[in-house]
Amino acid sequence: MTQAPERTPVLELRNINLHYGSIEALHDVSFTAYAGEVIGLVGDNGAGKSSLIKTISGVNVPDSGEIIVDGVPRHWRSPHDSMEAGIETLYQDSGLAPDLTIGANVFLGRETRRKGLLGRLGVIDQKSMEREALEQLVRVGITIPNTRRTVSELSGGQRQAVAIGRAIAWAKHVIILDEPTNHLGARQAAEVLKVIKSAREHGLCVLFISHTLPHVLEVTDRIIVLRLGQVARDAPTSEFTVESLLGTITGLNE
Amino acid sequence: MSISTDLAATPEHNESRTLVRRILTNQQFVLFIVLVALVIFFGSRNALFFHVGEFSNLFTDFSGLVLISLAETYVITAGGIDLAVGSTAAVSGVVAAGWIQPLVSHHVNQGLVLLAGTLACALIGAVAGGFSALLITAFDLVPFVATLVTYSVGAGLALVISHGAPVGYNPGAIYWSASGFGMITWLVAIVLVVAVLLGLVLHLTAYGRYNFAIGSNEFAARAAGINVRRHLVSVYVLAGVLAGLTGMFFYIRSGSGAATTGVTNSANLVAIAAVVIGGASLIGGVGRWAGTMLGAAILTVVSDGLIFINVPPTWIQVVVGALIAVAALLQTFRRRSRRLT
Repeated sequence: MTQAPERTPVLELRNINLHYGSIEALHDVSFTAYAGEVIGLVGDNGAGKSSLIKTISGVNVPDSGEIIVDGVPRHWRSPHDSMEAGIETLYQDSGLAPDLTIGANVFLGRETRRKGLLGRLGVIDQKSMEREALEQLVRVGITIPNTRRTVSELSGGQRQAVAIGRAIAWAKHVIILDEPTNHLGARQAAEVLKVIKSAREHGLCVLFISHTLPHVLEVTDRIIVLRLGQVARDAPTSEFTVESLLGTITGLNE
Repeated sequence: MSISTDLAATPEHNESRTLVRRILTNQQFVLFIVLVALVIFFGSRNALFFHVGEFSNLFTDFSGLVLISLAETYVITAGGIDLAVGSTAAVSGVVAAGWIQPLVSHHVNQGLVLLAGTLACALIGAVAGGFSALLITAFDLVPFVATLVTYSVGAGLALVISHGAPVGYNPGAIYWSASGFGMITWLVAIVLVVAVLLGLVLHLTAYGRYNFAIGSNEFAARAAGINVRRHLVSVYVLAGVLAGLTGMFFYIRSGSGAATTGVTNSANLVAIAAVVIGGASLIGGVGRWAGTMLGAAILTVVSDGLIFINVPPTWIQVVVGALIAVAALLQTFRRRSRRLT
């Protein structure tokens, strides 16, 4: 995918450094990401994938470097800040509250208040949230019969679809998906990949973290390979095969 | 029957069947039936149980249990546990009784005395709850251990401060505690209003929603931008305040604060029992206000009713144990039947 040079990147990282005590987790990580782009973020365990996405989503605060979202430099104090700026993150296996309904999960942390005095007292509008949740999920291509079911009643694939659907529905710029196809069967994983493609069609930038390299090669436009906390390679997906990607991840290609 | 009509009929058929099943496996519905059955049973064995005076007693005993049970509901659905509500009630009552006794002695207006006592109890309860919250959120103690510390400190302080004897004497409070309308005293009415407010907050507001979200999946709640730490602090402080108010409740009933009568340190276990009977999950995320209210009502009716049918009071705890077992089994059965659908 070629980008016109004058386009503002939707997300830009400049020389991000992060330490956990004396351990260097990220070293001078820089990359740019554009709207409508699916970027694969791959690397061995401990390569810095988790540290990087936690930095982008505001869980970690970098020691130095800049995060620029849609042209505006940002400093996160909490994950809430990154959400406000239009970045949604879906962490591995932990996106949803199983005992809450699908609708409640879609609106979790962003509950619609009732109008007037009741709303000011904190009373939430359950009906409109259930209705809108269904609309939002349908919009991104996820069909759920009834948003009043609790998430615990859904299959693993359905849960993941709802979690991604929620992220797409709320994200203005970037969604970060951490191992979204983990523990899913082939058909359910295909569903998830379809939803990722629909996110691209909605003009979002998707950061797709996965160990399943065929999934990465299938769905991404560009792949960033992390090794030992640094960007080892940043190139269009068409330049990789499973073998060459594996070689870059392990460092055997150099 | 043709295939097309079969398909058309199936969803509706399922709908009505699941409706019947949902009613039969609805914990609140079953609890309500049990409650009514218990009242009829005790009434049929001893007609005095149906006396207006006894109903008034039942409401009062229920009120003594309901606030700490609801406190426990908030904490348990948020994924925690609070072992300190009983001793917090006791220590609040004892300390506040000492503080307001000079007002009583100087014949200050009884309304002002009770208001001052209520505020004092709420404050002491908030401090106790805040102490638990501090241990949990700042020092990462698990709620069981943190509130065990608060429980023990509170229970000990209540005994130290009171020397094991009632603190203060305020006959005016006892007199007021009996005033009201019909079988509902003002005291009971106030408790019930607070209880209803707690139910509305739990099930209709964003605060209540966060409570269930945190109990269901703390990490998901945090990822959704909810300030989990602040919420948990507020929940334990709320539980402490409700325990403190329960301490004031027993002060008003007996006209003094006491560490060993009225509200006892083991009230925490009765409150937890009410929540469990009400169908809440001790893992968090699941529970209903109505379930806890019915659980507390059933425990009250059983405790009072057994006395009416001449069962020695010492047996009450055995019966309560059996009730908890039945409620837990019902919950397991319900979960299994849901999984099968």
